[in-house]
Amino acid sequence: MPPRPAADHRRLRLAYEKIVGADAVQSAPDELLVYESDGLTLFRATADVVVFPCSTDEVSACVRLANAEGLPFVARGAGTGLAGGCLPSEGGVVIALTRMNRILEIDTANQLAVVEPGLVNLHLSQALQPQGYCYAPDPSSQLACTIGGNVANNSGGPHTLKYGVTTNHVLGLEVVLPDGEVVWLGGKVRDGQGYDLVGVFVGSEGTFGIATKVVVRIVRRPEAVRTLLAVFDVLDHASRTVAAITARGLTPAALEMIDQLTIQAVEDAYGAGYPRDAAAALLIELDGLAMGLDEEAERVEAACRENGAREVRRARDERERQLLWKGRKAAFGAYGRISPAYMVMDGVIPRTRLPEILRAVEGIAQTHGLRVGNVFHAGDGNLHPNILYDPRRPGEVDRVLQAGAAIMRACVDVGGSISGEHGIGLEKRDFMSWIFSPADLDAMAAVKAAFNPGGRCNPGKVFPTAKSCVPGELGEALHPLEASGLIQRL
Amino acid sequence: MDATLLRSLTDLVGAAHCWGGADRGPFAVDGRTPSAVVFPGSAEETAHVVRLAGEAGVPVIPWGGGTAMGVGGPPPDGALVLGTRRLSRVLEHEPGDLTATVEAGITLDALQAALGRRGQWWPLDPPEPARATVGGILATNAAGPRRHAYGTARDLVLGIRVAGADGRLVRAGGKVVKNVAGYDLVKLYIGAFGTLGVIVEVTLKLRPRPEADLVVAATFGDLDRAAAAATRLLGSSLLPHAVELLNGGATVTAGLGPAGAGLLAGFDGLATAVTWQAAEATRLLEGTAAQDVRRLDGAAAARALALVAELGVTPRVPVAVAEAGVLPVEVGVYLGAAEAAARTAGLTLRASARAGEGMVTLVLEAPADRRAGGATAVHALAALRQRAQASGGHLTLVRAPLAVKEALGAWGPVGPALGLMHAVKSRLDPRGILNPGRFVGGL
Repeated sequence: MPPRPAADHRRLRLAYEKIVGADAVQSAPDELLVYESDGLTLFRATADVVVFPCSTDEVSACVRLANAEGLPFVARGAGTGLAGGCLPSEGGVVIALTRMNRILEIDTANQLAVVEPGLVNLHLSQALQPQGYCYAPDPSSQLACTIGGNVANNSGGPHTLKYGVTTNHVLGLEVVLPDGEVVWLGGKVRDGQGYDLVGVFVGSEGTFGIATKVVVRIVRRPEAVRTLLAVFDVLDHASRTVAAITARGLTPAALEMIDQLTIQAVEDAYGAGYPRDAAAALLIELDGLAMGLDEEAERVEAACRENGAREVRRARDERERQLLWKGRKAAFGAYGRISPAYMVMDGVIPRTRLPEILRAVEGIAQTHGLRVGNVFHAGDGNLHPNILYDPRRPGEVDRVLQAGAAIMRACVDVGGSISGEHGIGLEKRDFMSWIFSPADLDAMAAVKAAFNPGGRCNPGKVFPTAKSCVPGELGEALHPLEASGLIQRL
Repeated sequence: MDATLLRSLTDLVGAAHCWGGADRGPFAVDGRTPSAVVFPGSAEETAHVVRLAGEAGVPVIPWGGGTAMGVGGPPPDGALVLGTRRLSRVLEHEPGDLTATVEAGITLDALQAALGRRGQWWPLDPPEPARATVGGILATNAAGPRRHAYGTARDLVLGIRVAGADGRLVRAGGKVVKNVAGYDLVKLYIGAFGTLGVIVEVTLKLRPRPEADLVVAATFGDLDRAAAAATRLLGSSLLPHAVELLNGGATVTAGLGPAGAGLLAGFDGLATAVTWQAAEATRLLEGTAAQDVRRLDGAAAARALALVAELGVTPRVPVAVAEAGVLPVEVGVYLGAAEAAARTAGLTLRASARAGEGMVTLVLEAPADRRAGGATAVHALAALRQRAQASGGHLTLVRAPLAVKEALGAWGPVGPALGLMHAVKSRLDPRGILNPGRFVGGL
């Protein structure tokens, strides 16, 4: 899209100020910089204007104005997404939900809460804690990410192994549809009649409209918790143990794996108490009723030892537990000390194929002359190989993207999928045809068209480029993978 | 049926699996007999059947075990019943991954038997597992008491394959337990009553079979006392997998004998934990107004829960079976209102509720010494539907004579989202050939 003439830009800004107020519109170049990408900083685009509505009516009016102006628009929470999901369109509108961050209702008797989309995930659980409840989906970015963003991505987290992902915890949504109409999908009562529009909206990555209220399911905090750290001298032993635990009929609340490279980075940064010389460690958490929990922990420990664990530690108190989790949750940040940049991959495979896929990932990294750190949700086979690189080195970014694509391909080849929790966004839309046939994509496109017939709501995401609703809507340069010949448009 | 179409179908599936004569009788619904019944033998054949029917403009009625055909509006005349009974294989079972992929026509009992050989199961307990198929269970979003802990089909299905209205096979989801690639059409096909696609294959999320499984059962003088006890149980730190509130009529069905009301609490998991929870639950209930608290083990526990799940499965057609959804805290009061409405209408009521979920099953019957007209039932159900809707809930007729369904409406009003549902339907089934006239709001 050619840049907007200055007078037109001013007119657009004034029109938005009329809706949200002069202090809730950003359109100066330096203001727009912050919003030109999400956590996937490889891809950037400059919006025309960023607006901060504080009510459903304002969101609706912002959407209607974008439509009237013929502009694409995208919703944005905290911008922590890792797939380019809230990357704006060049010259489009960003509708930021961060001012809509209230908890509207907490109803523990009916085990639900009603919240605004800009509410930070962790703040919800913190607000519920005094009453003994929590919101179960706990992405590692929960200190910053918002419920609305969680809804868009169907976000996961370590404890979703036992408790389920976002879609298992959303009962209803108030949505501003892409034409500005406001409609309720689902509600507080379960199993509403008709199609499960809530279920298909969750994970639609902002392409079906903007959620302005979310009815979430809340769960009672577990009575007791046991947190174990199993230490292995051989990576294969650790990855074998994951399926072995499942095979014994044990269902941990969380089962995370951290490899040596990551352990060392974490220890240098935080001193979380992980052994630096381990090939890998498993962080295993069990929760539930106090009665029987120690027995479960013993069974898990036995599974670890039988598969080669050299040591299994138990956190003795909440402080030790928090420290172990800090090591896990802040691992991405720790990479920043050992590498100028890193690319977070997200793939998922059947957990029985874990040993084989980790070997494949290491092989791919070596072939491309890159280092990879693995810290991920081993319990549900959700991999996060993190490719460390230096963007200043010529050709390095290309090799990173090639290695990333090869890792995705390996996941698909063992029966997995191309995204466990970060979403398709921009990053992986051209991999969709690796796992979906034209008929499969057509069905998805049909549902998208029902919600978003005009194609202006977060265009260019999720679908392989040729399948986008509005032809030529992005007009950007060739994706690097395309340029290197690794992928093709359909 | 058009002779050309019949011949094409016969050529496709074989004469043995294409019924056009008197053998169509059992497949009549609400007095409407289909023009033919076909049983394709594969996913591809199923898709081909749908394509042929679509091209000829003949509506398709998917038919699994036929246990829920009474739900919804009557089918159009001259439709084609597509039976899935030949799609009955377990295609894959990966115990290490806790996943299995099955053809949609497999019955729930057959599925559990196959999974049980490796100590696993699919933790859903809808009624009539010997007849109900996985595909049908998904299409109707059928569930039972265990949904309290394990959720419903939308929480237990990883991937799905359907024959779309255009005769193409479509996959959604995948085979892994976490997957956000693409739109979650699995959620859409579940509970859609076959109106968006005929389910042919499903990948299921499994659980290990629990070590121990039992029920603590209690009877009470009246519903208020039973509801209060349920509230205390739900507010405790115990973790039941089922909490069923029963009215007086249902306590007899559940095998607890006559009482004002009853409560069943199911517990499963590690043997030591289950034994402890049973003792704690017993103590808790004895501290309420319970008249009689007993522990049921093994087969007795399973039978009690199954009898409750099958409250609406009666040899003769009752006056009406309905399912309502309300807020969990409203369940006790709602059951009380249902009893009052039944009394006013001169009917008997057997009712149970998943107290933690807000789901209520209502079985209205005529007392043995009288024949009650459907008109009074309609009036009672209309009031109960309005009551449910007042708190954002709903009431669906599950089984009732056609006259009752037509007077009351099988479904209630859906609200403003109906427009969006129609948009989805019209894009996935533009000719409207998949189970037309039966689902909500004319979808």
